[in-house]
Parts: sequence; structure tokens; C-alpha cells
Amino acid sequence: MRFFEKYASLIPVLLIYAILFAIGISFPGMWQPVAFIMFYITLGQAFNIFLGLTGYVDFGYVAFLALGAYGMAIAVDNLGGANLGYGIILIGLLLAILMASILSVAVGAVALRLRGAYFAIATIGVNEGFRYFVEGARLWGGSEGIIISGDMRNIFGRETANFISTFVSDILVFIIAILAAIVTILIMNRRMGYALMAVREDEDAAKVMGINVTKYKVMAFITSASFAGLIGASAWTLKMTYVFPSDVFLITYTVEAIVIVMLGGAGTLMGPIVGGLIYGILKYYLSITLPGFQLLVLAPLLIVIVVAFPDGVVGALRRRLTGNVKKYLR
Amino acid sequence: MELLRLENVTKRFGGLVAVNKVSFTVEKGEAIGIVGPNGSGKTTLYNLINGVYFPDEGRIYFEGQDITELPTHARAPLGMARTFQIPRPFGGATTRENVAVGAMFGHAKASVDEALEIADEYLKLVGIYDKGDVEAARLTPLEKKLMEVARALAMKPKLLLLDEVMAGMNPSDIDQLIELLKRVKEEEDISIVSMVEHLMHAITKFAERVIVMHQGEKLLEGPTMEVLNHPKVVEIYLGKKVV
Repeated sequence: MRFFEKYASLIPVLLIYAILFAIGISFPGMWQPVAFIMFYITLGQAFNIFLGLTGYVDFGYVAFLALGAYGMAIAVDNLGGANLGYGIILIGLLLAILMASILSVAVGAVALRLRGAYFAIATIGVNEGFRYFVEGARLWGGSEGIIISGDMRNIFGRETANFISTFVSDILVFIIAILAAIVTILIMNRRMGYALMAVREDEDAAKVMGINVTKYKVMAFITSASFAGLIGASAWTLKMTYVFPSDVFLITYTVEAIVIVMLGGAGTLMGPIVGGLIYGILKYYLSITLPGFQLLVLAPLLIVIVVAFPDGVVGALRRRLTGNVKKYLR
Repeated sequence: MELLRLENVTKRFGGLVAVNKVSFTVEKGEAIGIVGPNGSGKTTLYNLINGVYFPDEGRIYFEGQDITELPTHARAPLGMARTFQIPRPFGGATTRENVAVGAMFGHAKASVDEALEIADEYLKLVGIYDKGDVEAARLTPLEKKLMEVARALAMKPKLLLLDEVMAGMNPSDIDQLIELLKRVKEEEDISIVSMVEHLMHAITKFAERVIVMHQGEKLLEGPTMEVLNHPKVVEIYLGKKVV
């Protein structure tokens, strides 16, 4: 019973994923928009593990997606002749996690000793700095990036390569979203979740309670960065079959991730999913109906929502719920 | 047996000497009162014991171990707990979760499930069990203070530092809290150091020994009634007799 109560909130999450998947599979032309929305949901979930659970804002977050994207590209580009089949995608994903988490350890060990706003300022430089480093030092192809469409055709053949970029990459995003939800609820239910709650609410008091705040912040940071790496590897490299530094080190994605998390409800399980749904649907359809104006319409809309629900949609909803229903919405 | 020892502890903020060469010991199971007017260095003293600041001079020992430069978070697991002058609840979490955090990361080192049970136990003890599911930010000032006491006790400390916990309470609440603290002190063998500015009445009922702080220095130390009636103490609180 206790177990069910702790994990009941996963049910509506998985239900939403299942519905999105069913819509994408059953209606012609719907797979593309569903994948587009799922990307934002998953991005929000990954970022929520850090931003939502610790209350710290990382303006350099997209650098982890970018490194993940490079991890996959490097694996495919260098091991293309090794005859590994689908194994190469697995190696690419592992390399993505490795590269993103190494950067997160480096950034986190230094910057996470800073408080709130100072941390945010310190991280702004990470993304831009890394991008100019890659371009300037001609690392990983420099500004020409890495193109893997040829490698993919050589490894898998034309049809399968096409299938991977149009379907498998999106399925991977679904799987990452499910994993991120499970990891989020696991953290929330454990000591780590309580420690991060204390950090978010009052870091000095948390220390007095015996919480090693730096340790838990770094743990959340690495976890969140690893998921970012997986997203970059799947939703960008495998889908687009190329990586250009100017496309992946794009601060827009960081801002979008912040908006999704705040909109839905930071630190909640359902928040980034609701935020991702609202943001993804709005952006997709506004870019069709009002091409070029989507950001102009989105900005005031987001301001209204953030003013009306400072805790996000899910945070506001949770306040109104009591008793038995509450355990399904976290 | 000795639990806490301060040796010539000094803390300066720029030119201001907030705590000046203070030494004292706390024995196991003892109830001590620290009294002193506003600005006498009481809270700084707590922050030094707690590791929020490190002293410029002097050493601090806890159960014989030198903890002078031990980080704050490493002190709670050794068996130290405190409350704050202005309560600092984790406002977004429920009262029960607040107390459970104490049990998880303090000396009790409980698992999540154990901690939630311990939390209920201490919420009942301080009498705010019915507020367990309420967001801590919504508690009344009195309830917040009681929540902090419950949170500190749930840590199963050997040393409990109370910072003006009784200030602003009405006399019957104070009496209840003192009874509760006395009982817990006996049952769980905790040393309690309670700091007050003005509530002499409360300290006489509670403390076995009193330390008087004045302008960053330890002015006097000794049995409660003897110290509080000392002419020097009367002087710093009420001023000298003119006639």
C-alpha cells in the first residue's frame, strides 16, 4: 500500500505518454507534431531534475545536450566501420552520458559552491565558451561540425538509416521521458529528495540539519546533465544526422527549458509534462498559423500564465487538491 | 562527563569583537541558560558552536573531538541540533516533512519511512500533530517554534541549542514547553543550552546553571539563582543605582 502511494503519481504520467504515442501512431501526419511535443516534455523533465528539485537556474544547460549530440556523432563517425549494427547507437548513447556528465562534474564542482543568482551568472559563460572553443580550436570538425548521414547509410543501409532518423530517434525520446519520470520520482521519495527540498527552501537551515548540500546539488546536476546528453544524442544527432556547433550550443533551448519547467510547476513530477505539452502545442501550431510571430504571441501568454500561477499549473492545482487524489499528482 | 568545551573562542567582524575569549563546558545531560542583553554575542556564540562561522582564535571540542573547523553539515550527525531565533521552516513542505528531514540527516540518521514515523511521534509530543499535513509556511508563529523544537528533537541530538525559543510566547505556553523540555532531557539524556535575552523567569525554572554574556565576553557563570541575583547582572540589565 505504502509502495503504491509513493509511486501512484507515475500512473497519470505514463498514461499521458501512452495517449501521445497512440495519437502519433494512429493518425497520419501526427507523428511529427507528437515527436516535437515529446522533445519539449522530455527536455523539461531532464531540466526539472536540477532546476526544479534544487531551485538553481543553469543558463548553460544546453551545453549538456550539445555534448550528448557530439557524443553520438563521434561514436558513429569513428566506429562506423566496426560492424556493430545497433550496438553503435548504444555506444553513442553511453558516450553522450559520459561526455555530458564529465562536463557537469567540472562545472558543478566549481559553480555549485556559489549561491542562487551567482550560480546562474557563472553558468551563462559555459555554453558560449564551449561553443567558441569547439569552433576556434577546430575540435570535432570545428564550425563545420560532424555529418553522419553517410556513415548511417553505410552501417544500416538506406532504408534502415531513414527509419532510425524518422522513427527510432523519436522512440528513444519516449524512452528517455519514461526513464526521467521514474528517476524523478525515485529521487523525490528518497533521502535525496528531502535533502534537495531543504536546499530549495532554505540552504543554511539545511546545512544545520546535517545535509551536505554541495553533495546533493552535484548529484542532481549530474543526473540532469546525463539525461540532457541522452536527449541531445537522440533528438538531435540521430534525427538530424548532423551536428553543427551553431545549432546545438543555442541558448534558446535553455530558455525554453526554463519556461517549460516554470510554466508546469518546478519541482513537481507532472509539471514539466504539463509545461511541455502547453509550450510544445502552442509553439507548433503558432508556427503554422502565424509563422514568424510565434515568439511574439508566446511571450505575453507566458507572462500571463506565470503571473497567474507562480507555482506553475501543477503547483496551483496541487494546492486545491486534498486527500486521496493528491497522491496521483506530484 | 563533558560533552562540549569551548576554549578561549574569539570571533571578530572587522573591528568588532563579537565574541571575546569565551571558555565554558557543557556536561552530558545538563540544562544551561545563556543570558545577556541584545548584542552581547549570544547568537554569534551559537553560530560558532554550530559551524556557521569558524572562530578566529580558540578551539571547540565535542565529545573530546576537535570540531573547530568541521563544516556545519558534519556537526548535526555527531549529535548537535539547534533552533533559530526567527523560525526557519522549509516553507513549501508539510510540517511532518520538515520534522522528518531532521530525523533523516541528524544524529538519528533514519530512513525515509522511519523518519516519517519519528516525525509523527515528535509532532504529538510538542502538540501540533494535527498540523502534520499543513504547509509549514502556513503555521502560526508559535506553531513554527514548536515545529522547530520537534525538528531538532527528531534529530536525536546529544546537545540541543535553543535560540530564544520562548520569546514571544505567553506564560502558560512557556511553562508547557519547559515541562516538555525537562521531560525529554531526562528521558533521552540530552544536554540543553537555552539562550534568552529577557525571560529570566523561564530560565530560573529551567536551567541548572547560567552563563551571562556581556559585550562579547563571559561575565559570570554559576548556579542560576546565585548568578541572576548578582549585582553585576542587575547592573547590566537595569543600570547602576544613582542614589
